[in-house]
Amino acid sequence: MNPMTLAIDTQSTYTASSTTRSSLWHAYTAVVAAVCVMVGVYWDISWHMSIGRDTFWTPAHLLIQSGGLIAGVSSGYVALRTTLRGSEAERESAVPFWGFRAPLGAWICIWGCLAMLTSAPFDNWWHNAYGLDVKIVSPPHTLLALGIFSIVLGALLLTMAQQNRARDAERVRLALLVSVVGGLFIMNFAIFLTEYSERMMLHGGLFYEIAAVFFPFALCAFSRAGQHRWSATIAAGTFMTVMLVLMWFIQLFPATPRLGPIYQHIGHMVTLSWPLWLIVPAVAIDWLRARYDSRLPSLALAALLGAVFLITFIAVEWPFATFLVENPAARNWFFNAANYVYWAGSAYVARSHHFSSAASRQLGMHLAIAAGVAMISSAVGLAWGRWLTKVRR
Amino acid sequence: MKRILSAAVAGVIMVIASAHVGSPDVVYDGNAGPYALRVIVRPPPVVPGLAEVIVRALDSGVTRVVIRPVYWRAGVAGAPEGDEAKPVAGALSTYRGQLWLMARGAYSVYVTAEGPKGSGTAIVPVMSVATGRLGFSPLLASLLAVLGVVLIAGLLSLVHAAAGASLVEPGDAISPARRQRARRITVAAVPVLALMVFGGARWWQSVDADYQRTIFHPPTPTMSVHRVGDQQVLELSTRAAGARGAVGDVIPDHGKIMHLFLISDDGMTTFAHLHPAQLDSETFRVQLPSIAAGSYHVFADVVTETGSNLTLASTVKLPPPMPRAESADSDDAWTRTPTVPRLAPAAAAPLGDGAMLVWAGDGAPIVAGQPVELRFIVRDSAGREVALRPYLGMAGHAVIARSDDSVFVHLHPMGTVSTTAQQVFELRDRGDTTRSGRLRLGTAQPAAPMATMPLRIRDAAPLGGAVSFPYEFPKPGRYRLWVQVKPGNHVRTGTFDVIVN
Repeated sequence: MNPMTLAIDTQSTYTASSTTRSSLWHAYTAVVAAVCVMVGVYWDISWHMSIGRDTFWTPAHLLIQSGGLIAGVSSGYVALRTTLRGSEAERESAVPFWGFRAPLGAWICIWGCLAMLTSAPFDNWWHNAYGLDVKIVSPPHTLLALGIFSIVLGALLLTMAQQNRARDAERVRLALLVSVVGGLFIMNFAIFLTEYSERMMLHGGLFYEIAAVFFPFALCAFSRAGQHRWSATIAAGTFMTVMLVLMWFIQLFPATPRLGPIYQHIGHMVTLSWPLWLIVPAVAIDWLRARYDSRLPSLALAALLGAVFLITFIAVEWPFATFLVENPAARNWFFNAANYVYWAGSAYVARSHHFSSAASRQLGMHLAIAAGVAMISSAVGLAWGRWLTKVRR
Repeated sequence: MKRILSAAVAGVIMVIASAHVGSPDVVYDGNAGPYALRVIVRPPPVVPGLAEVIVRALDSGVTRVVIRPVYWRAGVAGAPEGDEAKPVAGALSTYRGQLWLMARGAYSVYVTAEGPKGSGTAIVPVMSVATGRLGFSPLLASLLAVLGVVLIAGLLSLVHAAAGASLVEPGDAISPARRQRARRITVAAVPVLALMVFGGARWWQSVDADYQRTIFHPPTPTMSVHRVGDQQVLELSTRAAGARGAVGDVIPDHGKIMHLFLISDDGMTTFAHLHPAQLDSETFRVQLPSIAAGSYHVFADVVTETGSNLTLASTVKLPPPMPRAESADSDDAWTRTPTVPRLAPAAAAPLGDGAMLVWAGDGAPIVAGQPVELRFIVRDSAGREVALRPYLGMAGHAVIARSDDSVFVHLHPMGTVSTTAQQVFELRDRGDTTRSGRLRLGTAQPAAPMATMPLRIRDAAPLGGAVSFPYEFPKPGRYRLWVQVKPGNHVRTGTFDVIVN
């Protein structure tokens, strides 16, 4: 090798590596912020299911807000420092935005923080105008969810850009981090869809149609974008692990409802039901994608992954839902199938031990639609995954 | 976002009838065990919402006040633990607290007073209904509009950066082709984003429309007058209002299944308080006494077995009375007063037979939103106090209507609450309910079992000549006040005009 070429390569590697290290703290900070936000969201939902009454200053709210602020403020600092005092290398690994410079992920975190801040007065007005909401999905909560989603997405892009620029062992480490953030990304979707994924709905067409919109997209994207062989599997595993740990841990704390009417006299915190078994379709998607990504045209691969997602997801979710709904052995701390909110009346409890016959009407047609949706979702996910591999700044 | 805001800014607060009309606040004077209390509950305009509770101990010795919201279906067993009401700085023996009313329908605030004489609980029935929607303040609307525009512009800039600069290797310059592509993708994102904002606005509109449907509208009954023999009867039916107009199972309040008030349109000169009988679940009928022909506003108070206190409002045009028109119920009372005295120190309204209803209050102005004691003494032509007899189990009844009919309220010496609604909650706490929380009533004659409910005469001791009604006028304006008492064998009505600042 020409000595001159070697010198240039060494220089280039050194520059890239130092740039990576100088902004790596920000990627890690954003990941911590995303963890705070998502754990806070879970805790807050559990708080509403068990205690009901809250203020702006509940620990769960503080965790969400501090997560938003950590991401927003650290990104704002990075933007100001890069713009005003950044080295040439730092400025050249940032994107311009309204006269300032920072990595794309930082801008998304700042946008998310602003969306969360905007949702606060909007949500307060909403409560005063329409009453305290008992539903997760409302316009101000959607804005808040978009903000939270952006914090997680910003953390994902910051780690993704680092992964894409890194070499060797650092690349492997960052690939793992990307997959972990991917788990938080999936958790975002899963929590937002809670009202459509109650265990009695898991034998119904609507649930699979809605699940097919979101989860094949996320799993296919992470499978392709992560540099790890089992990126989607690690992401889905992270999602399930975080959800299960929170489900088991938060239940250990005593709680009594502070709002009424109370139809369930609970003595401890109530948590969300057992998480969706996304790890099963994730394993299938990772395995198939690694095998066929370079051999099949994109659309054919998407059709394959979409179909496999639905088949494997139904294969695991259907019998497990039967167990959760119909088997009294599931009504304990471990399986959490007796997690009734304090306002659940006796009629709801009785209904929760059977699958809704209305939900399973025209199941074949709904599953056919879900298969089509899963294929489209997979195609979009694969395309997004390809874009993610290209993010450098 | 702008579109959303403009749609929302157009919203205004609407306050309509619930129990009573235009007067949602509850005023209660009564005992919590050994302590006399005045309780004011200001229910929220939205459900779930926060009710404000103000408790004034009229006896000394109260050291602690606990308030607790009890829902009709769940009873005390399903109520959260009570909250301690905090003493109000600068106001003697006054406590204030807030309670969440989470469900629609009949609630009671249980007020427990504690002190050296022990503790006792008062039951204060409250209707929990959505009565309006909050509009945007210009400041909040502007703030949200600016933030919305920044968020949308930021989103487009993010798309531009994501499609362009973020994909360039650090150190490399962005190529013209990539720059062009980023611009094209950003332009393509504009309609997508517009569609999302439009979809969000439509969603908001549909949520708002759903909410508007939950706003409480009291059933508007259909009124008709029929001739039966040599008498005329006024019939009130909720049938045309359909399922939404159904009032539920009605139970007697002060021994009457319905209290029907007629107020004439000609400057409120004629007033009648009648007591219809129930023909079926949707129809009530009363024999018309000799009252003048003309247009009348009709207000009908009923209490349902859930403890809900409802006022049905309508209008009716009455024909000239029959020559031999007479009331079928000795508790019916009516009056015609072309000239009415204004409430002022020593003002007196004639009750007939030389008796007068004399205002016993001072000359202090009556202010909206402030508690006021409407206190009167009945005197004979010689100025002596006349001992009253109980009228429907109480020393007196009062009715207040605003000159524009936007406020109507039926008061008792214990305030705006219904004793029957209190008793419903007591029965429920005793466990006299079915699994769904309904009272265990017979089905053939819905009213019959409740007719055995004892009437609660507030003071077992003989009544004097004084009667008072605690109230809080909801807004300034000109009001008419009718006070009904029984100084002898007949019910008499005294009428005053009240100016509220």
